[in-house]
Amino acid sequence: MKYDFAVIGAGPAGYVAAKKAAGAGLKTLLVEKKKLGGVCLNEGCVPSKTLLQAAKTYHHAKHGSVFGVTVEGLNFDFPKAHSHKNGVMDKMRAGIAGLMKKYKIDVVDGEAILKPNRKIEVNGEEHEADNILICTGSSPAVPPIPGIEQEHVVDSTGILERESLPHRLIVVGGGVIGCEFACMFASVDVPVTVLEAMPEICPNLDGEIAGTLRKELAKKGVDFQLGCKVEEIGANSVQYSDGKESREIEGDLVLVATGRRPNVTNLGLEDLGLEFTPHGIKVDDRGATNVPGIWAAGDVTGQAWLAHAASRMGEVVVNNISGQTDQIRHDTMPAVVYTSPEVAVVGLTKEEAEERGIKTRTGRIPMAINARYIAENPEEAGLCKVVLEDGTNRLLGVHMVGGACSEMIFGATAMMETELREEEIEEIVFPHPTTSEIMKDVFMAVR
Amino acid sequence: MATPIIMPRQGQSVESCILTEWKVSVGDTVAEGDVLAVIETDKASFDLESTAAGKILALFWEADDDVPVLANVAVVGEDGEDTDTFRPEGQASAPVAAEPESSAPAPAPAVSQVSGEPVAAPVAGPVSIGASSGVSPRARKLAMKHGLDPETIQGSGPEGRVIERDIEATLEGRPRLSATARSRSLSEDLEAPVRGSGLAGMILSKDLKVPGSVEGAEISPVKGIRKVIAERMIESLQSTAQLTLHTSFELTQAQAYRAQRLEAGQSKVSLNDIIAHGIVKALQNHPELNAHFLGNRIATFEKVHLGVAVDTERGLLVPVIKNASDLSIEQISAEVKKLAGACREGSISPDNLSGGSFTLTNLGMLGVENFTPVLNAPEVAILGVGGIALKPKRTESGAIEYVDTLPLSLTIDHQGVDGAPAARFLQTLVENLEENPGI
Repeated sequence: MKYDFAVIGAGPAGYVAAKKAAGAGLKTLLVEKKKLGGVCLNEGCVPSKTLLQAAKTYHHAKHGSVFGVTVEGLNFDFPKAHSHKNGVMDKMRAGIAGLMKKYKIDVVDGEAILKPNRKIEVNGEEHEADNILICTGSSPAVPPIPGIEQEHVVDSTGILERESLPHRLIVVGGGVIGCEFACMFASVDVPVTVLEAMPEICPNLDGEIAGTLRKELAKKGVDFQLGCKVEEIGANSVQYSDGKESREIEGDLVLVATGRRPNVTNLGLEDLGLEFTPHGIKVDDRGATNVPGIWAAGDVTGQAWLAHAASRMGEVVVNNISGQTDQIRHDTMPAVVYTSPEVAVVGLTKEEAEERGIKTRTGRIPMAINARYIAENPEEAGLCKVVLEDGTNRLLGVHMVGGACSEMIFGATAMMETELREEEIEEIVFPHPTTSEIMKDVFMAVR
Repeated sequence: MATPIIMPRQGQSVESCILTEWKVSVGDTVAEGDVLAVIETDKASFDLESTAAGKILALFWEADDDVPVLANVAVVGEDGEDTDTFRPEGQASAPVAAEPESSAPAPAPAVSQVSGEPVAAPVAGPVSIGASSGVSPRARKLAMKHGLDPETIQGSGPEGRVIERDIEATLEGRPRLSATARSRSLSEDLEAPVRGSGLAGMILSKDLKVPGSVEGAEISPVKGIRKVIAERMIESLQSTAQLTLHTSFELTQAQAYRAQRLEAGQSKVSLNDIIAHGIVKALQNHPELNAHFLGNRIATFEKVHLGVAVDTERGLLVPVIKNASDLSIEQISAEVKKLAGACREGSISPDNLSGGSFTLTNLGMLGVENFTPVLNAPEVAILGVGGIALKPKRTESGAIEYVDTLPLSLTIDHQGVDGAPAARFLQTLVENLEENPGI
């Protein structure tokens, strides 16, 4: 078949791009080898957030006494939480399928192999398209640790399929994924140890924000071992070195969360002369590869590793194909860690800005000054930091930990996308009482 | 009392100076002797100092204007005093004085200012608007800030004159600037592209460019010395018939001469000094090389006024040793040192940068073997000196030995002098330098 636009991979980059392209009148093909929705809907964002909410509900019920709420006979039914999770996923998948149908997008189940001259082969059938978007996503990285192949060693996909709680969980890797699962299991009373190679968890975050998160998770019972190297995974233990001596820790489930790798193999990329490495397909800020007519978006480019970034990259590609200049702006891409408390950030940290030679002014304020925050989170520390460019007063970054701050980071993103300055932001009205007022107050603390 | 500040005369030969940068704004208080602006003549730059104390009431010129000497450039006095009587002719619009607020971020054009006004729509192609009165200075300034060519906009002022509101109306139809971009474009004089990289093409601060910028390159305006050099060099290549003759001379005697001087406790002279001295001597026998070609006549100079090219941070300068033919090698050496020093410090008088009859330029110390110098027109000849090179030489006994030599490249204007006399001049020069250097 001949298409205007063919998309390989139906994750958040692929199905969003397909819908936008079809909406713009392009005859569109969408190829997916697994399930609609990609990792985000089936193995990542959506199922993990559903289970995190289950764990949070249990945790709130158990620790409600400060609000005068006590519960007897409290129980966590993990299989029931899973069935809610599966229900959410089914509903979302059906939603995407309905959308694809509505936009008359040809959806094909199968593995796509790219051929020269903008052709793709799926299930032995050849299709042709004026433009092809590769958004095959990523898979969990498998570090070379002896014993990693054992059944009780799982990755972020595997852990979402286990419907029984472990007695003791060991998480290898204190990044975003590791912290989210550590938080989830600790919230339902499973002892958790996180082994992180770096001196602080979530090394990409502002150090103080990461430290605050670590202390809050420790309060929930997560044991963090920082600056350590995992040496071997045994049948019911993990051996690691803290730099001085070898230690051993017991656990019946081991989650390996040491990052993700772009899915760039078995796609025929080599035969196209497409520029790519194991770290991703090389694209410019429009999503264009070095081969005309071939585009890439999302995790497969090795940029951002975020579903919303992938969707935006998909949109950017379609806009450029349909003649509208557009570019991805990674500097204003928000990122969230869905722990309790949540971390939400957008833009540069002070250190990153200074590395780029930008002079900064910064503000920092604890969430504890905010009425709504302490009313709802009496036992949880939180923090909000802002970074401004000295001179122009342009907002360069907002970094938050506390409560459900993921819900308000878009406000900071909008401010940064429009390059608002301190003087404009100070005139914005924030509803009272809301946690979002912290964003107004933090500007008063700018030095 | 309101006192005008004039553009001082920098040497007898200077008719005008380029005002490169204002150091004060209208409203500033200054004392006598305070630096008001940086000015550049022909080839050097100076501070323009205030000759009165008080408030700056008006600045009549803009940066980069070419200001005639003795013209009023500014008025210093007290608030409320009239400055119009001092305004130089032809500076009627006085953009700087009329817009003292121009350095502060301008407010976004309010809709009420333009709505209901008879504003003509911008047109796609250039519109012939006639003389410079077709665009008001305010309109031009606003247009330049936003990268618009005001000549392409249909004016709504008297007789179709483009006025500020025409520019504002045109700008409204473009993607808007972010708050940061707007303030930066005004404060840093940057230019906005037609479409930015922000939301729906919003122009962000990183999209702003120095006017006329080129992708991947840093842009700096051509002004001051660079501009003078550019004009002179292209004029030289376009108005002369350049021919370069190459030769070299053996350094043995010149090196021995320098060693002798050192031994005798005499002042140190450089190889360049020896060559300068040699040129002066040789020119006395070849006056046709010591001349200016002036189109329908040739000026042959009685004395040698030797220009010596000097590399400075600000660019190439050529100070002139006046009456070099009256000087001994020691005097030439001292003069070169003094003038080159003044060039590097920026304190050289414009009078010392003109009036040459022959030029010497030397790139030998920078590792250059040979080069073809460009004439310092209207001079008919320039001598370039390269770097020391080892060459084989047959001695009287027939043996081959190696000697240090220095390459010389003489560019002449074939309009004014032929190749043979130029070659004969080189012969004399080489003979002087090989046999009687410094004498």
